[in-house]
Amino acid sequence: MSSPVQARNESVASFRTRLFTAMMIIVATLTVLGLYLAQRKVTADAERNLQENFQAELSSLHKLEELRDAALADRCDKLAAKPRIHAAIEDNAIDLLYPSATDELRDLMEGEEPPPEQAAQSLHAKFYRFLDGQGAVIRPPNPYDVGGLDTKTEAQLALNKLPDTQQIGYIQENGGGGTFDEVIAVPIFSTYTGDVISALVIGFKPFEVKEKHTDVGMKSGVWANGQLHLPSLPKSAQASLSEKIANAVASSDREQDNFRVNVDGVPRLLFYKRLNPGSLFPPAYEICVYPLADSIVQLHRLRWQIGGAGALILLGGFVASHFVALRLSAPVKKLALDSEENRAQRKRAEAALASTAQELERSSRYSADASHQLKSPVTVFRLGLEALLAREGLKPEVYEQLSGLLHQTHRLTGVIDDLLLLSRVDAGHLQIASAPVDLSQLIDEWLDDLGALPDSPDVKIEKEFPGGLFVAGEKRYTSLIVQNLLENARKYNRLDGRIRVSAHRNAKDVVLTIGNTGRTIPPGENIFERFHHSSTPSAVSGHGMGLNLARELARLHGGDVRLVRSEIDWTEFEVRFPAADGVNAVA
Amino acid sequence: MRLRGLLWFNAVFSIMPVALLAGAVVEGRIELPKSHSAPVQAKRYEIVTHAGVLSTQPPLAVVYLDGAFPKSASLSTKQVAQKDLTFLPALLPIRVGTKVEFPNLDDTYHNIFSYSPVKRFDLGRYRPEERPIPVQVFDKPGLVTLRCDIHEHMRGLILVLSTPYFVMTDMDGRFRLSGLPAGHYTLKAWIDSRTTQEKPVDLNSGQTLHVDFP
Repeated sequence: MSSPVQARNESVASFRTRLFTAMMIIVATLTVLGLYLAQRKVTADAERNLQENFQAELSSLHKLEELRDAALADRCDKLAAKPRIHAAIEDNAIDLLYPSATDELRDLMEGEEPPPEQAAQSLHAKFYRFLDGQGAVIRPPNPYDVGGLDTKTEAQLALNKLPDTQQIGYIQENGGGGTFDEVIAVPIFSTYTGDVISALVIGFKPFEVKEKHTDVGMKSGVWANGQLHLPSLPKSAQASLSEKIANAVASSDREQDNFRVNVDGVPRLLFYKRLNPGSLFPPAYEICVYPLADSIVQLHRLRWQIGGAGALILLGGFVASHFVALRLSAPVKKLALDSEENRAQRKRAEAALASTAQELERSSRYSADASHQLKSPVTVFRLGLEALLAREGLKPEVYEQLSGLLHQTHRLTGVIDDLLLLSRVDAGHLQIASAPVDLSQLIDEWLDDLGALPDSPDVKIEKEFPGGLFVAGEKRYTSLIVQNLLENARKYNRLDGRIRVSAHRNAKDVVLTIGNTGRTIPPGENIFERFHHSSTPSAVSGHGMGLNLARELARLHGGDVRLVRSEIDWTEFEVRFPAADGVNAVA
Repeated sequence: MRLRGLLWFNAVFSIMPVALLAGAVVEGRIELPKSHSAPVQAKRYEIVTHAGVLSTQPPLAVVYLDGAFPKSASLSTKQVAQKDLTFLPALLPIRVGTKVEFPNLDDTYHNIFSYSPVKRFDLGRYRPEERPIPVQVFDKPGLVTLRCDIHEHMRGLILVLSTPYFVMTDMDGRFRLSGLPAGHYTLKAWIDSRTTQEKPVDLNSGQTLHVDFP
């Protein structure tokens, strides 16, 4: 008893577990996905923030630089256009070049180095040199006037060819390790030919971003020619950084980029941007090193927050899944219970049906056997009685008794015939040889016979049917149906009653209605039951098989018999026969 | 070579009185380069550069008789004025040793200088009324480019010649050199800073020789 319940409970529980697991997997997947996306976004945002920071700082620096460069370029162009400088170059008086320029550029070279905040306005040059037609430096007769440079540094000013436009370069004094100087090379055009005949190279102290927050802010410097100048970092760190920048610059042709570096164990983001794109001078890069410590801490905090949020979501999802699984499994449990009850009911019904079928078969076999067994003795009995009646000289009362007995044997034969027929119907052995049967004629014949019956009460017969109504069926069974119903109508009639027989054809059927006056059939009484006997006492006797047989036969033909109404003094039966197609139309 | 030159010198010297009396004349026409601008009404021209070559615009040429001639005792002082931010005249042929004054006829400062190898000088800034008028003596033959340090577009040329016999053509290129000594000489035509054409001439006293360039 407990095992199916237990199994059911187990299956419902496993359903609940599976549902819960599936929901948890979905929730967990979504959470992980969300966490991953959030994390990625946070990382991307952090990098973008740094990038923007870098660009902002760089652009403020570049604005100042551009301002100064524009002023410088303007100034240099004016200087390069000076007649004495032109005269010295064009009129082949190179010895007069630097002396002339000394006068012209005196204001650029004289005076103290201005403080950095005024550097943009002051245009103070550290040195200048001229380049000859091949781009080589023209050595000054007196370096003191034009800003002293050692030979190595001076050599960095030379270009492969004279520039058409202003060029910006960065050179490092004292053979590296020191600060960078920004140099601007301005072409000098011949007033005779318009060709570039020389160039003026002027060196300035470069701009440096003021380190506002030494610890947290970015550090900037310049990288050129494999040398890095980033004074706020220790020398050892500069050397390793310089190498990394050289690699990055060599491996990519991008003008700006960034990568992560470790300086003294501190992670930093390094940005570089070309300071002199397209210049004839060696490429120089602005270098900014941004400490990542802050952003890493921030990132960690954000990760914790996201992780916490994810855990909460998971927990919420867990609880929600649990509840949903419970809610969803409740109807499933009910469904499981119901279906089990249904199954039990069905089993019971099936068993009942099987036993009923067996019983039915047994009873039909029994009635068939019984009928056969009865038929022969009854026939013998009837033949004997008929032989006795045929004898001469029987006393009238004997004769009367004998004919009464004979009448009873006739009835017995009828009952046996009916039983035989019914048993064949029940066994499904009865085959209908369907053929058109003229129902109108059949009724007429039976009505004639009805009138000729000896014990017929005086009833009035009303006929309402057309001639030539054909039905599909076997004539003797159709005839039996009509006979049974008409006999009943007569048998259960009252004195001076009437019988109304009407028939008509509708779409597929021929409907025969037989009504009679007489007693009412009480509602609920199953008059079509085999061996039915009326609950109300009656003078009329029947063996209780006529209606049953009629209906079985009608159904076998594809029609039916039913009680249409039974009111006071009027009972009406309706028989449906399948119409015989084509025959009616002809008739 | 030097000996022959000396002989020539002696020969010329011996016939000089005759030559002075009735000198030879050379006249002719020089095919000048096409002028790129419309002819100007006034007799004013300027120095232009074209592909690195200095010439006058409209084109003019200087025709001179090349050779070694005795120095004259006194040479008249010439002038290259600055007027309307140009040199006037833009091209001045002079004999070696000539003193040239540079009067400023504008209302502004000028600073005339030359970095030419033939004559380097720098007059410094001077006002129009500055006295004495800045002056330079040109004692080497050759072409001197004049510039102004204040007005970078200004250009002037002084053609320093060792001969006293030179003349500037008119705008059509016609010239006439008179009072020349008889003898065998080379007649040269300076057309621009890069182009000087020359032709040998035999001059006879009282004769007029017609020479066209080229």
